[in-house]
Amino acid sequence: MAEKKKVKKEKEPDITFYHPDLLAVPENEPPYLKGYKCKKCGQLDFPKVAPCPNCWGEEFEMVPLSRKGILYSFSDLYIGQPGLETPYICGYIDLPENVRIFAMLKGEVNTFKCDEEVELTTGQIRMNADGLPITSYMFQKA
Amino acid sequence: MKLQRDVYIAGVGETVFGKHKMDYDELGRNAAFQAIKTSNIDSPGMIGSAYVGNAHNGIVTGQTIFKDLGVCGATPIINVESACSAGAMAVHLAIKDVAYGLTELSMGVGAENHTLRRKSGTAFMPAMNDIETVHGGVMTGKYAMRATRYMYETGATIEDLALITQKSRRHGKNNPHAPFGGDYTIEEIIDSRMIAYPLTLHQCCGIVDGAGAVVVCSKEMMKKLGIEKPVKVRGSVVTSGPYHNRPRDITGDDITEMTSEMLYEESGIGPKDVDILELHDAFTIAELLYYECMQLCGKGEGLKFLRDGQATYGGQCVVSPRGGMLSYGHPIGASGAAQIAANVKQLRGECNGYQVEPIPKVAMSHVTGGGLSGTEHAACTMHMITADW
Repeated sequence: MAEKKKVKKEKEPDITFYHPDLLAVPENEPPYLKGYKCKKCGQLDFPKVAPCPNCWGEEFEMVPLSRKGILYSFSDLYIGQPGLETPYICGYIDLPENVRIFAMLKGEVNTFKCDEEVELTTGQIRMNADGLPITSYMFQKA
Repeated sequence: MKLQRDVYIAGVGETVFGKHKMDYDELGRNAAFQAIKTSNIDSPGMIGSAYVGNAHNGIVTGQTIFKDLGVCGATPIINVESACSAGAMAVHLAIKDVAYGLTELSMGVGAENHTLRRKSGTAFMPAMNDIETVHGGVMTGKYAMRATRYMYETGATIEDLALITQKSRRHGKNNPHAPFGGDYTIEEIIDSRMIAYPLTLHQCCGIVDGAGAVVVCSKEMMKKLGIEKPVKVRGSVVTSGPYHNRPRDITGDDITEMTSEMLYEESGIGPKDVDILELHDAFTIAELLYYECMQLCGKGEGLKFLRDGQATYGGQCVVSPRGGMLSYGHPIGASGAAQIAANVKQLRGECNGYQVEPIPKVAMSHVTGGGLSGTEHAACTMHMITADW
């Protein structure tokens, strides 16, 4: 009886960006977050929620969000998630489009303040299951 | 939930909280059997249904707890999960069964063992499919951001927040169920290690194991059991966290505001009539904000309410008379049921060494559940109970 040949399945390529629906990084241009406007009721959301929780619309138009916003609040974290190096900083950023973003902040602990201006950047947020870095959106002082 | 008929609490049970070698099922069984015995229940067949809250101990947790009590069989046992709200939600469902005449007697249990399985030195977080979690979000951070903003807006300091720990642990000092109760100086609290700025270790509830159990029944059953001090359920409300990703005021808490409003309406008892309150004081800042959210005082007056002694013995409402989560620690699925058990014992005057005097008549409890991006909390469960003898 012929032995069955074991074919090892090729592994899917690693995602270095957390999700393409969230963030665009054009070449030679600054990155931007992708807002999604419901074509039925006009509600703008980030991240994309489908269907639209307001009207159950299913069609959306992508709208680039402002790159600068106001840091509503933050915390320096010394005990974090399993596998994340500490300390790290997180915050809520309010954008002019009336959207609040939760994000990691790039910078030093003990330096951020409520209501200061911050801007979008990108950076490594964590490792994936294969131990490779995942890049996503972050904010830093403007 | 509009109660369709009168519902009473016959008996309760709770284990000592802390680091246990007993797994969740043994803890849950101990609390449940205590509740069964104090309810004068003499056969497993009297239990019409049982609900068990748990968050992290796996599957069929309720049946695992109840099989040794001889309750598994025709009795429906339903497992309930909603993070920190699970235990109280289990009690809510037991109340619902009795209120709607589906059963004459039902039980709600919450049980959890974290320390046998959980890696220490990390914080609780929502599931990894939540966008905030992927970006480093943990529950401590979520509360810490509330504290940061509250301090920024009101000028409150870390020392102010530490007053909450000091009060609650003083309340828990003589409570044998509360491992972290005791006398703490403000310096000890603020000089303990930083967990999530501005929350230091002593401003965060400990991760521990434990269980609580509550037996609820109809008026007829209560008479049949011969319960001398029946506690009446005046209201039981479960809500889910409103979702949106617009800017919101995190020095409030939309879900607690909504749920307490509904509970006051349902029970006909207003915030100023509540004698004792166990609330979700997983972190100091939460308690301060919830005074305001529950209308114990006006918006922005939480700190004054605390400083004026309105939240301690002799005040308007004794908050966390058992010592709260800050003294008990917080076994996630267990806490909600244990709060109700502790409140019942206060109403019955059974808390030797930490009894609120004069003996309270009205007790309220509150647990939120988990976090989710675009919400403050995923769930909220509140109960209002009164002495009825």
